[in-house]
Amino acid sequence: MSRQAQTETTVAVESLGKTYESDRRTVEALADVNFTVDEGEFVCIVGPSGCGKTTLFRVIAGLEEATTGQVTLDGNPVTGPGTDRGMVFQEYGLFPWRTVAENVAFGLEEQGVDEPTRSARVDEMLRLVGLDGFADAYPKELSGGMKQRVGIARALAVDPELLLMDEPFGAVDAQTRDMLHGELLDIWAETDKTVLFVTHDVEEAVTLADRVVVMAANPGRVREIVDVDIERPRHRTDPVFADYVERVRGLIGE
Amino acid sequence: MSNDQVGTEVALAETDERLLDRLAAFSSEQTGLAVAGFAGFLAIWYVAALFQPTYLLPSPVEVAAAFVTELTAPATLGIPFTGVELPATRLLAKLVQSLYHYVPGLLIGTTLGITAGIAMGWNDRVDSVFTPVTRILRPIPPLAWIGFAVIWLGVNHRGATFIVAIGSFWINFYSAYGGVEGVSNDLKEVAATLGVDDDLTMIRKVVVPAASPSIMTGVRTSIGQCWMIVVAAELIVGVGVGYEILNTAQNLAMDVSVAYMLVISLVFLVSDGLFRRVERRVLEWRA
Repeated sequence: MSRQAQTETTVAVESLGKTYESDRRTVEALADVNFTVDEGEFVCIVGPSGCGKTTLFRVIAGLEEATTGQVTLDGNPVTGPGTDRGMVFQEYGLFPWRTVAENVAFGLEEQGVDEPTRSARVDEMLRLVGLDGFADAYPKELSGGMKQRVGIARALAVDPELLLMDEPFGAVDAQTRDMLHGELLDIWAETDKTVLFVTHDVEEAVTLADRVVVMAANPGRVREIVDVDIERPRHRTDPVFADYVERVRGLIGE
Repeated sequence: MSNDQVGTEVALAETDERLLDRLAAFSSEQTGLAVAGFAGFLAIWYVAALFQPTYLLPSPVEVAAAFVTELTAPATLGIPFTGVELPATRLLAKLVQSLYHYVPGLLIGTTLGITAGIAMGWNDRVDSVFTPVTRILRPIPPLAWIGFAVIWLGVNHRGATFIVAIGSFWINFYSAYGGVEGVSNDLKEVAATLGVDDDLTMIRKVVVPAASPSIMTGVRTSIGQCWMIVVAAELIVGVGVGYEILNTAQNLAMDVSVAYMLVISLVFLVSDGLFRRVERRVLEWRA
């Protein structure tokens, strides 16, 4: 599966800088970060620890303010969190007191969607992530992979412009992760969402992304943006795949 | 669907079954030991009482007899604010008197305590303003206020209600405060990205449910603690089960006195057991 390059820009990160000041010193987490994500594109952000990729994720999410520069979504500057960006967190962030269906319904409730529409939408989302039949389960009854499927369904339920994922599969075992990669790509194909996916795993990035934004640390900045030009589904045994992995690793300095 | 789901389901079913087996074995052994322990306690008490007059140590048999007498002796039960008097028994009348200040005191103290705890746990400025005051007031035992209770509210139900309310206030205040402070930032951020943009919705839909295990523990603790506070307050206010324990002891009717002590235990066991059930249902989602 490949996509035609589209001209519509969904996310634009413009001269973004973020510094943290404490009593003693100033830490420059991000310095002059620039890149764009086109509509419907799947972009991964990779980099060594301390390169500011999580800070970047949080600024795009609107959970932290930029020190300099800005992030725009469909041309509008991001000023705070909002339902136009669906967030998926590494630790799932499910509401443990809500069932699977109630978790998925949360954003819809906030939007004031009426009950019948809501429950139809929840059913649709649960089918999309393959969790129909688990609507009434509590998060404690689910495996890590299933929890993250709920996280994805909940983020997609409010139909966001952008799906923002911060190491979403970092806490699941390798086998489940492979399976979730396939499912995520299917969901992406089915929903036409724009995806921005943060990871430290180079193979994961090359498996998923149209483009990989490679970051460097001290200060956090974009080192290079790599176009991954391999047909999907991609296979790790493919020598071209290995070349990409090698190249990205080289850029990171691993 | 996928393998890991099926795997998890099977695993869940298996642990359920094994857990039940172990629980069954565990509880039959437990029950045996508990019965033996209680029988031993009664036996030692009985033998010890054989060598003492009733006014020094009443035997379990005498206490049981006194309990039955109090439970059946006719008395009247006044309904407050109405002037209506209902026929009842002595024990029942005393118990209801105690409940007249236990229940309202518990409700008032619990409600105010949880509200104040949430407010201070949620808002840093409210927290800063009230922290010094709470630090000063907190160490004062509820019973120390009894003088004020009497001169402000009189030697009556309201005085005792006040003391009980203070007791349950502090217990619930700290449990709610701690619970709210401990709510994970992740959950609040998730809610914010899903469209929660005002404090009240955040408190109602995220903070309170997330803090509910802690809040429930506070309520349960106060149900027990306040029952003990009630008895102590009644010694001074002069009504209810608490007063009866002291009053009968002053007449050296120790068997009756112990019978009323037993009433306290029974009421505590019943209310704690009922609340545990409620708690288990409300917190069914907890791992």
